[in-house]
Amino acid sequence: MATTDTVNEDVQVHTDPGGETRRGFLGTLTAMAAAVGALLAGWPLFRSLVPNVLYEPPKKFRIGSPEAFQEGVTFLEQHRIYLFRESSDFHAISGICTHLGCTVKFSPFLTPTEETVRQFTFRSLGEFHCPCHGSKFRGEGTNFSGPAPRPLQCYHLELSPATGELVVDVSTEVDRDFRLVV
Amino acid sequence: MSFAGIKNAWQNLIWPWRPESNREAGSGIVANFLLHWFPNRVSLRSLAFSSSLYLGTITFVVFLVLAVTGVVLMFLYVPSVERAYWSIKDLDFAISFGWLLRRLHRISAHLMVALVFLHMFRVFLTGSYKSGEIVRSARPLNWVIGVTLLVLTLLLSFTGYLLPWDQLAFWAITVGTNIAASVPSVGEATRQFLLGGTIIGQPTLIRFYVLHCALLPIALFGLALWHMWRIRKDGGLAIVEQDRQEALTREPATPSKSKTYSVLGIASGTTVQVNDPTTLNEDNSRPSTPFLTVRILLVTLLTIAVSLGLALVVHAPLEAAANPEVTPNPAKAPWYFLGLQEMVGYSALMGGVIIPTLVILGLMLIPFLDREQKGIGVWFTDAAGRNWAVVGFLYGLLTTAGCLALAILAPMRSIFPGIESQAFFDLINPASFLLLLFATQYFVVLKRTKSTRYAAIATFCAFIIAFILLTYTGTSLRGPNWDFYWPWQAWPAHPTGL
Repeated sequence: MATTDTVNEDVQVHTDPGGETRRGFLGTLTAMAAAVGALLAGWPLFRSLVPNVLYEPPKKFRIGSPEAFQEGVTFLEQHRIYLFRESSDFHAISGICTHLGCTVKFSPFLTPTEETVRQFTFRSLGEFHCPCHGSKFRGEGTNFSGPAPRPLQCYHLELSPATGELVVDVSTEVDRDFRLVV
Repeated sequence: MSFAGIKNAWQNLIWPWRPESNREAGSGIVANFLLHWFPNRVSLRSLAFSSSLYLGTITFVVFLVLAVTGVVLMFLYVPSVERAYWSIKDLDFAISFGWLLRRLHRISAHLMVALVFLHMFRVFLTGSYKSGEIVRSARPLNWVIGVTLLVLTLLLSFTGYLLPWDQLAFWAITVGTNIAASVPSVGEATRQFLLGGTIIGQPTLIRFYVLHCALLPIALFGLALWHMWRIRKDGGLAIVEQDRQEALTREPATPSKSKTYSVLGIASGTTVQVNDPTTLNEDNSRPSTPFLTVRILLVTLLTIAVSLGLALVVHAPLEAAANPEVTPNPAKAPWYFLGLQEMVGYSALMGGVIIPTLVILGLMLIPFLDREQKGIGVWFTDAAGRNWAVVGFLYGLLTTAGCLALAILAPMRSIFPGIESQAFFDLINPASFLLLLFATQYFVVLKRTKSTRYAAIATFCAFIIAFILLTYTGTSLRGPNWDFYWPWQAWPAHPTGL
C-alpha cells in the first residue's frame, strides 16, 4: 500500500469527529433545512385529514314527550340510550360499553330490587351485559365484572321549552343520581 | 411472417428459460429482465424443499393473487356507506363470477396471514435470521423487514375487513379502533384520526378503502421486493452457510496458469489460487434457470390451484348490513385477531396495546438478542435445540392453559372485589401473567444453557402454542356475552333479551 501513503501526505483529512469543518457544517445545515422543508410540506397533507366540519348526527336531540315513555326502561335504538322512568322521574344511561364501544344489552330482573352500589341506593330493574367481551354493569351503570374500565355514562336530560319534549344531551355527562322531574 | 420466422422469434424469447448449456444458463440470467434478479447458480441445499418449504414464495404468489383479484374488485366495489354493502351483494348475486372473485380474494387474504406466520416460524426455527461468520450478511435486517411485512399484512386484512360494511365489519372496526383509544392521552385523538370523525361513518370507510387499496399494498409490495432482493444479496437462503463452511475446509484447486488475471491486474504473476467460500461449484449447485425457475413455476401453479380450489368450496359470509344500533352477540374479529380479542377481554390496555407492541418489538429484536452463529439454516440448530423446542412447547401449553383457566374460572375482579382502580386490573391480569411467565422462561433457559439460541427457541415455541391456544379459545370456545362454552355445548338460542 505504498502508493496510498504518498497520496495521504498531500491531502488534508479532518479525522477529529468533534472538529467542525465548513463542509460538515454546511452538510448539517442542508440536512436541517431539508427536514424543516419536509415537515412544512407534510403538514398540509396531514392537517387536511383532520376534519374541521363533522357531518354527524347532533349531540343534543329531542326524543318525544315524557308521557310517551312507559314506566321502567326503554331502549332508544337509534341513539343507543336507555331511558328510565320512575313515575315522574326520568334519567338516561348510555348503551355504549366503556370497554370497546359495543352496545350493551339490558338484562331485566324478574322483580325490581333495592340495591346499594358505591354509597348510592336505588331501585334496580336489572343489569347491563356487553356481548363483545362480557362486561357487566349494575342497574345504575357501575361496572362490576369483565374488562370495562368505567361505569356507563349518564346523559343530561331536559324539557324542550318549545315543545315540552324530552331532550337528551349526549355531550354533557351527569352524575348517576341525576333525575329530571317532570 | 413465415412459420420459420415466428418459430425463430419464439426461440429468441424463450431461450433463457430453457438453456442448453451451463454457459447459456449464465447468459440467460444476464440477458433476461425477469431472470436478472436470480443468481447465476443456486445451491442444492437452497433448492431442497425441506430448507424453506417455499413458504416465502407461496406467500408472495398469494399476494399477487390478491393484487390481481383486488384490482378487478376495485372496478366493482363502491366505497360509500349507502352502496358498499349492496355492491358486495351484487358481487354475490348479480355479477358473473363476482362470487368467485370475492371468495378468492377473501380466502387468499386468510391464507396470506397464515402463510406469513408460518414463514416467520420457519425462518426462526431454522435460525435463518443470523448473519453468519464467513461473510457478515445483513440477514438480521431482512428479518426486521419481514416482521414489518407481517404487520403490514395484518393492517391490510384489518382495513379490508371493514369494506363489505356488514355487521361483522362494522363491529370489528368498532372494537379495533377503541383498542387504539385505550392508549393513555393520545388514544382518543388517534381513534378520531382513524375514523375521520367521532363515529364510524363515510369518512372512516373512505380512509380504510384508500389505505387498503393504495397505501398499504404499495408499501407492502416495495418492502417485499427489498426483502427478496436482500436474499439475493446475502447469497441465497441461510442454508448456504453450510456450503460456505464446506468450501473453507476444501483443498484449494490446483493453481492454473491464466493470462487473464495478470491482464486484469488482479494478481501479479500468471497463476492464481482461488478458494472463495462464497463461490458455488459444479458439485453443490445448479444453474438458476431452469432449476430454480421451474420450481418457482410449479409452486406458483400449485398455490393458485389450491387457492382456487378452496375458493370453490369455502363460502364468503356476508352478515346483515351494518347497523350501529344492534351489536351481534357474540361480536368477533377475524380469526387472526381472536387471540388478541381474548386478551383484550382481560384488559384493553395490556392485551390490546402493551402486549402486541412488546411482541412486535420482541420479534424484531430476536437477531440482535441471539447472536450465536451455529447451525444456521438447520432446523432447531441441533438435538439439544430440538429438546428445548419440546420443553418450550409443553411449557407454553401449560402456562397458556393455566392463564386461560384463571381467566375463565376466576376473573380478576371476582378475586379482588374491593378494588376499583382500573390501573390495577390493567397490570394484574392473566395476559400480563403470561407475559411474565414467558420472560422468566427466557432468562431461566438462558441461565441454564448459557445459549441465547436455546432460550430463544424455547420462548418462541411457547409463543407459537400460546398464539394458537388463545386464537382457538377466541374462535371456538367463546359464545354469547363472551362466555365460555365447550365445543360440544350448545349456545343459548336467545342469550339476552330486552
